Amino acid sequence: MRRESQVVSGRTPNSFRLATYGSKMISGYLITILITVVIYCILAHSLNIITGHAGQISLGHAAFFGIGAYTSAMLYTEAGFPFWISVPLAAMVAGMVGALLGIPCLRVRDDFLAITTMGINFVIEAVFLYIPFFGGAMGIGGINLPNWLGREMTKPEYFLLILVVFVFLLLLDWKLGRSWVGLAWASIREDEQAAGTMGVDIVRFKVIAFILGSAIAGLAGGFYAHFLTFIMPQNFGFGQSIVILCMVVFGGIGTRWGPIVGAIILGILPEVSRPIMEYRTLVYGVLLLAMMRFQPGGLLGSESILTKGLRRYVLRPLSKKAS
Amino acid sequence: MLWQQLANGIAIGSVYALISLGLTMVYGILRILHIAHAGIYALGAYIGWFSFRLIGDFWLSLFIGMAGAAVAGILIERFLYAPLLHLPRIAPLIVSIGLFIAMEEAFRIVAGPHTLTYNARIGLGDFSMGSFRLTETQILILLVTLIILLFLWAFLTKTRTGLAMRACAQDAETTSSFGVNVGAIIAVNFLIGSAMAGAAGVLIGVYDNQVWPTMGSIPAYKALAIVVLGGLGNIPGTVLASIIVGLAETFVIGVLAIPFPRDAVAFIAMILVLMFKPYGLLGKA
Amino acid sequence: MTLLEVTALSKEFDGLRALDGVNFTAGDREILGIIGPNGAGKTTLFNLISGIYPASGGEINFQGKSILGLKPHQISLLGIGRTFQIVRPFQNLDVETNILVAIGHHFYPSLWKSAEPFRQPEILQEVQRLIDRTGLRLFAEQLAKNLPLGIKKRLEIARALALKPRLLLLDEPSAGLRFEESAQIMDLIRQVRDQGIGVLLIEHNMQVVMDLCERIVVLDHGSKIADGSPEEIRSNPQVIQAYLGKEV
Repeated sequence: MRRESQVVSGRTPNSFRLATYGSKMISGYLITILITVVIYCILAHSLNIITGHAGQISLGHAAFFGIGAYTSAMLYTEAGFPFWISVPLAAMVAGMVGALLGIPCLRVRDDFLAITTMGINFVIEAVFLYIPFFGGAMGIGGINLPNWLGREMTKPEYFLLILVVFVFLLLLDWKLGRSWVGLAWASIREDEQAAGTMGVDIVRFKVIAFILGSAIAGLAGGFYAHFLTFIMPQNFGFGQSIVILCMVVFGGIGTRWGPIVGAIILGILPEVSRPIMEYRTLVYGVLLLAMMRFQPGGLLGSESILTKGLRRYVLRPLSKKAS
Repeated sequence: MLWQQLANGIAIGSVYALISLGLTMVYGILRILHIAHAGIYALGAYIGWFSFRLIGDFWLSLFIGMAGAAVAGILIERFLYAPLLHLPRIAPLIVSIGLFIAMEEAFRIVAGPHTLTYNARIGLGDFSMGSFRLTETQILILLVTLIILLFLWAFLTKTRTGLAMRACAQDAETTSSFGVNVGAIIAVNFLIGSAMAGAAGVLIGVYDNQVWPTMGSIPAYKALAIVVLGGLGNIPGTVLASIIVGLAETFVIGVLAIPFPRDAVAFIAMILVLMFKPYGLLGKA
Repeated sequence: MTLLEVTALSKEFDGLRALDGVNFTAGDREILGIIGPNGAGKTTLFNLISGIYPASGGEINFQGKSILGLKPHQISLLGIGRTFQIVRPFQNLDVETNILVAIGHHFYPSLWKSAEPFRQPEILQEVQRLIDRTGLRLFAEQLAKNLPLGIKKRLEIARALALKPRLLLLDEPSAGLRFEESAQIMDLIRQVRDQGIGVLLIEHNMQVVMDLCERIVVLDHGSKIADGSPEEIRSNPQVIQAYLGKEV
């Protein structure tokens, strides 16, 4: 992959010393949080493609996260594939399943789509839970961090790796936003039927969004598996889908940075606040409820308190000064 | 043996009907997937349990459970759904999901994470005929469900309000132009649907002799599957689908003895039917 | 030259016959009026031609080939553009972007081409040309939802023109407009016709219809009851009956 040459060729043979120095600087706990937050950023971003860009509600996104995690885990533990192959393959598998499931999904209306995606989440979680091939309730263990430069990567290095991938994904999103695909998605989101009469093949572009969104979620799953070193079916159920949805809704569905902001805030908050950690589920529920009821556009939405406040107290005074 | 399974299946199916009807009625009139409905179901169970603890009379506690659930339903509609009707459908749906999650957590925090036992004294007694046996709680379920469904049927077909409700489900705008207070009709809709869910909660609480915070989770998914199966908004379809699912679960587990997660039956049935009839068994586009 | 041939076209909705055996033709360089009392089936006709609903019976031929069963985006690629009775611009996108969506119509079928950035000079020039042609210059950067109705209607037409259509279906373009705005839209439609595009026009404003259209088709309760020049239609007893009978 591209980023491999970026990262590897830039390093000196003293990389090992550099890495251990780095690890001492950053405590293990902090690094764990950082890695988790980046993984959530990738996840929220991927859901945003499906739900924000193409306007298709998906309540079962964790399923693709799980497919990616399990695929990567099994390729690694059963077939001995290294990280650098198992993870991209996991993304592809997740994308293919996304296409497979996306196509019947798209013939189905709004509400049915919501239920269907929930149902898919359940079925996939059940598959991981009940079919012994996938390790059952105990899941799969023994998945290690990737090897490079002849040794295992350290956590800070892993963090940089997935951060670079994430930035790459953002760039990709930016490029798509400026392309006809992005325009097509916007038109579908605004008014599907009208978009159809403008020459936009709505089914095709929705499927593209589905494939992209699920593939990226699968990628996140691969990263997750190799970082956590063991995975269990419960990590990929409806509860997880809700967490991801919460991040996207909180930050702002459809905005570029909203889901990322949401992922960062909701990823870090439980770690720094004990009470929030305890009542995490309650917080997610109330957050979803409150956001949609009062600020459906999310934190970074065009009508949110934050955006309006910024506009009034920061942007307008600035432009007044300029003129 | 067959009769026994049949009876078991119908008993379970009846409870499913009580839960699912509220869901389908709300969809019919507001086009919202009222996931929080399952939270109301559990709320009914908890309120019933608490009032039984306080008062000791089962039938009264059933009534109070239904009443509490009904009030909750109306409040939810007024404060959470009504203000969001102009937004795309995803908004009330997410609100509903968030509410449901919050409710389950609230139950856990307020009443504790442990299972509460109902231990109700109903006073009906079991019924046996040879090897065929209906337990007291099963008789209770069949009785209560029958009464409620009869009342519902009479209400919808014989009363003016019931007629107005059916009209609203077809076309709210036109109905309001006939002078019908659509807001009141919606409130009645939620009242009846939530009361039925509350009743179902109490009945299951007694049947399983358990009340616990996440008792709404499985019914949430199952009721959704049933409602889709029967056709969203279609009342007879939902009753039919509920009985079918109840029977299917009982037979698949009891007779065919397939080691299958019982709760997956509803979803599998739904997916199978949707493949051939994309709007449900009796649903229309 | 004949562009559109509609033969014995029918549409049923749950037992209700919205259209029943409608026949007519439309050619380029002409404005064909489609009129009739409310509920006559005019918008349904447009929905069938543009592929939003499937027909229950009959034939629709565009430039000699049948377009029955095609999806809306395929039909717009063949060269039929339309506007909607209740305007449906992309609310949260600005005027330029609205038009851009339609301009991209020939890129969308190719996955490869779709990935190209849309801010190319030729593309942007074309957008500006359309904006000027339809008199939207002042509003170019505004969001569609903030536009006054008359401008929204022009945006709809601009979007449809971006498809480079041979046939344009306009559904009540002057409804809700003031007199001057209405006149401006009519001028625009005349220009479109003069450029060789065929226009199907649904209108309730009889003044507009008589002024603009060379020919008129009259629908009532799903059937065609008259077909001819404005003078013929004006004096047709059946037409008068259909309208008078509807008046309260």
